[in-house]
Amino acid sequence: MAKLTPQTAKAMAQELYGYELTDEAAVAVANAAGAMITHSRRLGNLDLNGVQPPFGYPTLLAEAERIRKRG
Amino acid sequence: MANPSPLLDFDVAALSQKLRAKEISPVELTQAYLDRIEAVDERIISYITVTADVARELARKAETEITAGRWRGPFHGVPIGLKDLCYTKGILTTGGSKILGEFVPNYDSTVWTRLREAGAVLLGKLNLHEFAYGATSSNPHWGTCRNPYDLDRIPGGSSGGSGAAIVARTAAATIGTDTGGSIRIPAACCGCVGLKQTWSRVSRYGVMPLSDSLDHTGPITRTARDAALMLNIIAGHDPNDATSSREPVPDYTSRLGGDLKGMRVGVIRELNTGISEPVSRAFNAALKQLGSLGATVEEVSIPSFTEGSLVAMVVLMAEALEFHEQWMRERPDDYGADVRSLIETSMTITAVNYVRAQRERNLMLAEALTALQDHAVLLAPSQTTAAPRIDDSSYDIIANMVRFTGPSNATGQPAVSIPTGLSNEGLPLSMQIVGKPFDEVMVLQVADAYERARGPLPLPKL
Repeated sequence: MAKLTPQTAKAMAQELYGYELTDEAAVAVANAAGAMITHSRRLGNLDLNGVQPPFGYPTLLAEAERIRKRG
Repeated sequence: MANPSPLLDFDVAALSQKLRAKEISPVELTQAYLDRIEAVDERIISYITVTADVARELARKAETEITAGRWRGPFHGVPIGLKDLCYTKGILTTGGSKILGEFVPNYDSTVWTRLREAGAVLLGKLNLHEFAYGATSSNPHWGTCRNPYDLDRIPGGSSGGSGAAIVARTAAATIGTDTGGSIRIPAACCGCVGLKQTWSRVSRYGVMPLSDSLDHTGPITRTARDAALMLNIIAGHDPNDATSSREPVPDYTSRLGGDLKGMRVGVIRELNTGISEPVSRAFNAALKQLGSLGATVEEVSIPSFTEGSLVAMVVLMAEALEFHEQWMRERPDDYGADVRSLIETSMTITAVNYVRAQRERNLMLAEALTALQDHAVLLAPSQTTAAPRIDDSSYDIIANMVRFTGPSNATGQPAVSIPTGLSNEGLPLSMQIVGKPFDEVMVLQVADAYERARGPLPLPKL
């Protein structure tokens, strides 16, 4: 199981988002983060190399056009 | 308290026939619903805003048009409610939050535009879990929404008001949104029909986002037929939503009314474990009923669905953080404790977490499509248990409530939650019917056939 310390969770929230986690929240966040990192590592072991994540180019084109029209 | 009006007994399909034949007046019908809201909603809190004046005006307009022979279709003159996440021009739209407690949009969501153009009457904006980020609808800012079958229990969420309003008879049909299960969970808890159609099938324009990759907007209704009628109106490409699909829109009622002869349906093994005895009993009885309608019921395996809700939650939390980041920095105390805690947790999700979860969605859908090669639809209970008590703080919402619904958000497949009966405690139980992408017709066909065989559920005693 991956581990993140509450101090690291606090520092990430502060440095990345300018947000103060309480000591209690930092423990909960660190535990949840550990579980998510473990899950992510498991997903990384699946044979999905070369499989594209589901972000579509048609959406990219359409949204670019919408922004362009908005000026 | 006076007996509720008999007009409240009709579903949308029946109402539309009577309205068209001028046997019922839209004005009279709308007033019956407003009276019902007045009589019971103080206890349910299904609404955040009741738009009585707007409703009466739209009802008068519908009456004039129908009287003049200009019937617009099945929702003409039908009183509905919208989850308070859907923008309504000139009408308070809070997202169930304190942060947007005074927000009045200057344009309509496409879903409301289409329903308004179809002649629907807006009764008001429905209660929800704050910012749709949770499954209880215990809203700290606008009041705890309650389950009409047992006021001490949650109605599910996040579209709790939309589900509660259907069975409390405070709306004839409603709109909800679903990111991890938020249409199907309240439908399951409250004993009504909740349809999360294929991702991109219905425009999300003007609907406050929770997670762009996973958000769906769809119907919560009394019957599968009503859901089909509503989807007929709201489905289709919208130039204002680049992600909305250009797939042709079929008539979703086209295969209702038939049986299931020769159909093979698959029970998802990974989503049929760890369930309570009442859920299991009702689910097995429903499978038997499907068999008696002519379907062959078989078990299928979709291994990636075991952690499917976790995949959905990683994507959801990462995208929700992007939407809430500025408010969290500037107004953290204006969030409810549970939503704040979820957003805090998101702050440690890494880019690797997020992209891998997105990529995993391909595998999940591939496995689901393999199972659907030989099966018309897939089945699973909607929830592990009946609706939990409001004060049950030990209940793990994510582990229990999103576990069976989250996978279909990750795969974007259509999924409907339909009641399978009541428990001995009188609480609704339910199952999900999951289909191939854009095959809502099949999902609704199975739901409708089962529903007719099951018969009506007893209404809550309010």
